[in-house]
Amino acid sequence: MYTKRYAQRYFEDVQENEALPEVHLEVTFKRVIQDAAATLDYFPGHHDPEYAQTQGQKTVYLNTMCLQGFIDRVVTDWAGPYTFILKRKMTMARSVYAGDTMYGKGRVIKKYAHDGRHLVDIGIEVGNEEGVCCPASVTVVLPSKNG
Amino acid sequence: MQEAPTKSPTGFDLKFGTYEQAKAMIGTKSEVLFSDVDVNVPMIKYYAAHLEDANPSYWDEDFATQAWGSVVSPPGMLMSWLMPLPWKPSGRGVAPLLATQVPLPGDTLINVSTETEFIRPIRAGERLNVTDEVADVTPEKQTRLGKGHFITTVATFRNEKGAVVAKNTNVMFRFSL
Repeated sequence: MYTKRYAQRYFEDVQENEALPEVHLEVTFKRVIQDAAATLDYFPGHHDPEYAQTQGQKTVYLNTMCLQGFIDRVVTDWAGPYTFILKRKMTMARSVYAGDTMYGKGRVIKKYAHDGRHLVDIGIEVGNEEGVCCPASVTVVLPSKNG
Repeated sequence: MQEAPTKSPTGFDLKFGTYEQAKAMIGTKSEVLFSDVDVNVPMIKYYAAHLEDANPSYWDEDFATQAWGSVVSPPGMLMSWLMPLPWKPSGRGVAPLLATQVPLPGDTLINVSTETEFIRPIRAGERLNVTDEVADVTPEKQTRLGKGHFITTVATFRNEKGAVVAKNTNVMFRFSL
């Protein structure tokens, strides 16, 4: 079977404190609606601007599952598709709204072996034009060149 | 005694009550909720498209089969698989959010933080279920958004064979403006 090859970062390639490439995503109104559909999350704060405003929000905002997927994408865009997300913690400090451009950036905190697995801790920050919205930390399992 | 659920514009049948009643729910577990759908490739592709995520684990079946055994669910879709379809012939299901069933005064809610541990890849074709447990409810706190209570729940996700695939610790703010 022919399998296309994709770039993968191995445990040995990773440097502590190295920065991950920044990822950007335009958060149009359409994308926020798409988010509700893609995650089956019809909480009105994610599709009804009037309801979002009664919650003290500017307008409709992205949901947890979208931010989680974006955090994971920042990691796997950098590390490659053989990466297993083992843990992810994220905090919603502020919302990401329709009309924003969202960024995601990250930095390697630590690399270590544990229980025979090669782990990397990464600090992630998701934000918009006004600054940080969602600080996160992710632990991934990476393949090793030494098996 | 259970109070009748009150319809809320949140779309959830939020339960209303006092902090004392809420505290009495600490340790309560939900019944097992089953996903309406199998983990499936079309929904995986739609979610990956939404995030413009090119990871071939979601798009390239040959690659994904060789790497993971099949196309896998993006980790961020974990909770999505348990969200009820907007309609089905037997009536709409309930969202797998025990936090909405904790009786409190607040008329709305917002998610605060989520910590997820993934035990194994979630593969296309699996059918997930979840049990949720109330771990903590804080006394009333004043925040930028309003006054309310923080509810911590711990959800355990399993596949159809009963193997635990992930655990989610979620903090939600139930508040009034």
